Amino acid sequence: MPLAMLRQGETACIKEIVGGRTARGKLTDMGFVSGKTVKIHRSSGGPLIVGLGDNRIALGRGMAHKVIVDNKGCEN
Amino acid sequence: MALNKRERKNTELKVALAGNPNSGKTTMFNELTGSRQHVGNWPGVTVEKKTGRAFYQDYSLEVIDLPGTYSLGAYSEDEVVARDFLTAGDYDVVLNIINSANLDRNLYFTVQLLEMGVDLIAVLNMADEAEKKGIKIDKNKLSQLLGTPVVETVASRGRGIDNLLEQTVQNRDLSEASLKINYGSDIEDLISEVVEMLKQYDFSQQINQRWAAVKLIEHDPEAVKLLEREVGASKAKKIKSLIAERELKAEDDFDNVIIDKKYEFINKVIAESVQRPTADEEPENVSDKIDAVVTNKYLGIPIFMAVMWAIFKFTFTLGDPLIGYIETFFEIAGGWIGTQLLEIGVSPLISSFITDGIIGGVGSVLVFIPNIFLLFLAIGVLEDSGYMSRAAYVMDKVMSKLGLHGKSFIPMIVGFGCNVPGVMATRTLDSKRDRIISILINPLMSCSARLPVYVVFAGALFSSHASTVVFSLYLMGIVMAVIMAGIFNKILFKGERSHFVMELPPYRFPTLKGVIIHMWEKVGAFLKKAGTIIFSVVVLIWVLANLPLGVEYASAESFIGQFGQLVAPIFAPLGFGSWQAAASLVFGILAKEVVVGTLGVVYAAGEGGLRTALLANFTPLAAYSFLTMVLLYTPCIATLGAIKSETQSWKWTLITASYLFVLAWITAFVIYQGGMLLGIGV
Ligand SMILES: Nc1nc2c(ncn2[C@@H]2O[C@H](COP(=O)(O)OP(=O)(O)OP(=O)(O)O)[C@@H](O)[C@H]2O)c(=O)[nH]1
Ligand SMILES: [Mg+2]
Repeated sequence: MPLAMLRQGETACIKEIVGGRTARGKLTDMGFVSGKTVKIHRSSGGPLIVGLGDNRIALGRGMAHKVIVDNKGCEN
Repeated sequence: MALNKRERKNTELKVALAGNPNSGKTTMFNELTGSRQHVGNWPGVTVEKKTGRAFYQDYSLEVIDLPGTYSLGAYSEDEVVARDFLTAGDYDVVLNIINSANLDRNLYFTVQLLEMGVDLIAVLNMADEAEKKGIKIDKNKLSQLLGTPVVETVASRGRGIDNLLEQTVQNRDLSEASLKINYGSDIEDLISEVVEMLKQYDFSQQINQRWAAVKLIEHDPEAVKLLEREVGASKAKKIKSLIAERELKAEDDFDNVIIDKKYEFINKVIAESVQRPTADEEPENVSDKIDAVVTNKYLGIPIFMAVMWAIFKFTFTLGDPLIGYIETFFEIAGGWIGTQLLEIGVSPLISSFITDGIIGGVGSVLVFIPNIFLLFLAIGVLEDSGYMSRAAYVMDKVMSKLGLHGKSFIPMIVGFGCNVPGVMATRTLDSKRDRIISILINPLMSCSARLPVYVVFAGALFSSHASTVVFSLYLMGIVMAVIMAGIFNKILFKGERSHFVMELPPYRFPTLKGVIIHMWEKVGAFLKKAGTIIFSVVVLIWVLANLPLGVEYASAESFIGQFGQLVAPIFAPLGFGSWQAAASLVFGILAKEVVVGTLGVVYAAGEGGLRTALLANFTPLAAYSFLTMVLLYTPCIATLGAIKSETQSWKWTLITASYLFVLAWITAFVIYQGGMLLGIGV
């Protein structure tokens, strides 16, 4: 499911990044790559605030739809 | 890689600072070179290349500070500056500034540089923050795995600088070998084939062929362009179709595989060289706790407004008494110097030049040093705290209604200091359309140069409501910016939808040094401006007030008076049709403080200084209308220059200059005529 669908406080595992070249490039540059754990710190209508390791990143809804995650979390 | 490495003396070194945004490059640059470049705790502070010099032992180092970037992909103008510099290769060593507390993402960029064959030193900056988090990095192991020297620093406290310099000069001739990541047999085979094909062409002798091959396999647009330029479209097509053919057969897109392999490599490096405390559930840190309040859906915008109000109050309330002292000083000094000059028999003309021209003109601007000082102190604290990107996040709600996103708000906040860096800060926006709109509205952010005008009028005419009046002008600027952005969004070209991704750095306690440097820089710039452009214009106006020969000083018959009268009818419907007001607005386009300087010179004849003169010549309503004009009308030439150079277009520059004038005129007209009808402040 896309990252944008998660609720505040949930964590998930990134499966893949979809979308156009620029969007994908920007996301992977910021560390959104498969196998990483993300946590939703804020989801209240506007952009999300997600935690990626120690990073906090504001992510527009459109972008958050391009990050496909599995809410069962990462293995191990 | 050293493509075009110039012939340099053995003791001359060219060193570039590169790395992720907000990793401390500029802090390091200042530390190395003794410069005072702008540092702030948000990504995208530096948007252009800056050069300085450092000396170590017998060595002389040319140091270049670059804008931050997450990769060589370069999606925005500032990143292009960094990418172009790094790929051109005109340097000896890159100091890759890395945020140690955030190693994996930072190493992604490091790895890209190493693959390209860049000679670099991995600088583990912010070692203090890593330490606090209990992150332990085995430097020797890391150095061995990356095949490059590793140094630990805390730039903000000057820790590790000497060691860094030592390593830099010792490693000025690093091996030419580049990092090789194994991309798996499919891609590796293809790389070899592409390298073979590239070898036929001369241009490939000067670049790292493996790196070029990988870039082509990733479909990197820049690499493809380079290839086409060097070998022609038809030969380039042969290579491209080979890649396309293989990719079709492969399971996954090659660019995805390459990214995954890079991160895989980084993960392995980190696993072998970094130890982290193994907490099951990562405890919420202080930044998260602050963010829970500050970015709250309902509280976010009110908190932002409160912050603006606090900055404003601080500047205004604390500055006011100080201005009073300086004003008194200039008055007393002016009077005393005047009598002294007469006593020693200096001609009245020279005496008038000094008292009316210099003290009346430049002095009336210098009076506002306390405000400038306090404003930039407050902005410095704001920028260093980490709140900037939160404000951008919070304002996304408003900005997205205008077709922009939150990041476009950062240049607007920068504009409160000065519109020139405000306009330049739009480089961080990756969509051309967002950038143009942000540039067009930036002058509506009331810059520090307009503050003296507000303060002198508000003090003279709105005594008890002075601060409310001035704050209302700041708000008017923001509201107008929002309205105009909305209009431009409707009528301008429909552009690509831009992507909103922005890092929220941890809150940091503003360093005294950082804030003081920032403030000094700004006050220094203000003094310099007062001594150069403001001084020259004021002298010019004083001369024009004395010509033609024999005319009564600053009378309607003087040149400046005649000129003002020519322009004044334009402003008459706005409530300030005097030649003095008209002349001050026209000359104010040279620099906004000049509005006060001009009024100071032309009203200097009167008793009791500028305030008394304003009280006699403006009603409160006319004054408010005048201030509206000053807020909104044509930006100063420095800002117009920045707009020209950033947009590369006279069209946008002229559009900005003229739409703002029209907007200002209409708004002032509505305010003045409306006020007259209602009988307010007449
Ligand atoms: N704790 C800590 N903070 C640091 C260190 N170095 C820099 N900082 C802070 O980090 C923030 C960013 O510093 P800058 O020097 O502006 O970063 P930059 O890499 O030039 O950023 P951009 O120009 O936006 O790419 C500032 O708030 C600095 O005070 C360090 O070693 N330790
Ligand atoms: Mg910088």
